Amino acid sequence: MRKFVFFGGKGGVGKTTVSSAYAYKCANAGLRTLVVSTDPAHSTSDVFDQQFDDSPKPVDGIENLDAMELDPEEEVSRHLQGIKRSLSSQVSPAMVNEIDRQVEMAHQTPGAYEAALFDRFVDVMRESDEYDRVVFDTSPTGGTLRLLSLPEFLEGWAERLLAKRKQSVRLFERAAIGGREPRRMREGDPVIAQLEERRDRFALAGELLREEAAFFLVVNPDELSIRETKRAISSLDDATLDVRGLVVNKLTPEPDDDENGRGARFLRERVRTERERLNTLREEFDKPVVAEIVTRIAEVKGDLLVEVAAEIDVEVRPEPVE
Amino acid sequence: MTLAERIAAFRDIAEEWLRGLYHGLINHPAYEKIENEAEDIEDAFMLACFPDAFGIPSPVSYYTAELLPYLEDEFEAWERRMWDRGSLLERKGSQYHF
Repeated sequence: MRKFVFFGGKGGVGKTTVSSAYAYKCANAGLRTLVVSTDPAHSTSDVFDQQFDDSPKPVDGIENLDAMELDPEEEVSRHLQGIKRSLSSQVSPAMVNEIDRQVEMAHQTPGAYEAALFDRFVDVMRESDEYDRVVFDTSPTGGTLRLLSLPEFLEGWAERLLAKRKQSVRLFERAAIGGREPRRMREGDPVIAQLEERRDRFALAGELLREEAAFFLVVNPDELSIRETKRAISSLDDATLDVRGLVVNKLTPEPDDDENGRGARFLRERVRTERERLNTLREEFDKPVVAEIVTRIAEVKGDLLVEVAAEIDVEVRPEPVE
Repeated sequence: MTLAERIAAFRDIAEEWLRGLYHGLINHPAYEKIENEAEDIEDAFMLACFPDAFGIPSPVSYYTAELLPYLEDEFEAWERRMWDRGSLLERKGSQYHF
């Protein structure tokens, strides 16, 4: 299995349960594992009955396992503070307010949250040297997919901005005929430097996601979830990301044959329709079903987590990076 | 004053005039044009970076905000140009010395 493993899917299908169980499985096999929750609802804390924050913390009672919860909100304000600091050292007091307004505005746009989350993603992946496996419990499908298709888009964007900036600087240099001081110079232009750094960062993120990450989609045996999964797979495929399989969660348990009460009849009926949907999943999707997890009576944690972990048939051993 | 001196004085004057004419007719409009072109490209760059200044939401303004501390002069000039400019035609027209 690759170093970075992502679990995605529709809201409420049990991504947190599955990713925690898989992380447990990896840790149990002796791999240094980090489980990262990017869902703003943050239910990792509930699974392990322990509060986590923005930096990795060991999980009590489980060896080799660390957990962290990303907080984009905090990242946004950190970013904002950073810019404001360099504003006050660079910009004349007369212009600070003007520019400050622009900076504030940029941090309230709808994309800011995603951008911040993306930054944290890349940070975690870059600083994960001490771990053998990093498991990402992602936020519901739409957001995450947009997030993961970002690098290419952003890289292209930074590239185009860079080209424009270089072009105008070149013209300014050319306009300086007869030994005049050009208005802007290529040499040491902080804007070009900044844009280049961004571009490289996006390129790195794209590379890590394509080469070292594996994706799993958690799906429930119901119509909506299946349809959303289909869409998710096609957009992940489009972004040339590696979707390794489907984890079917929340299957209904089958009653014993001799039971014939109302509850048993209901369950039998339910199991029948679910079996049909499972077949659809098997036949219509070209990704293998790697786990079938039956609904538990209680919340999945503690011993139940161990049980669920055993049901996930996903390779644990690290793969050599080609 | 000898003839040679008078000729030399005349050549000095002629040279100064020629340099002035060359600067006014060729040199000056040339770099002004190039500079205007550079400004136009810079405008496009700024608009691509900060479309939200004009109410167009941009997914990347979070990142481009990092550039703002270094774009002080450009930003001010850009905003002024954007708000003042009557039309693209007017701006392009002013690049020529009629």
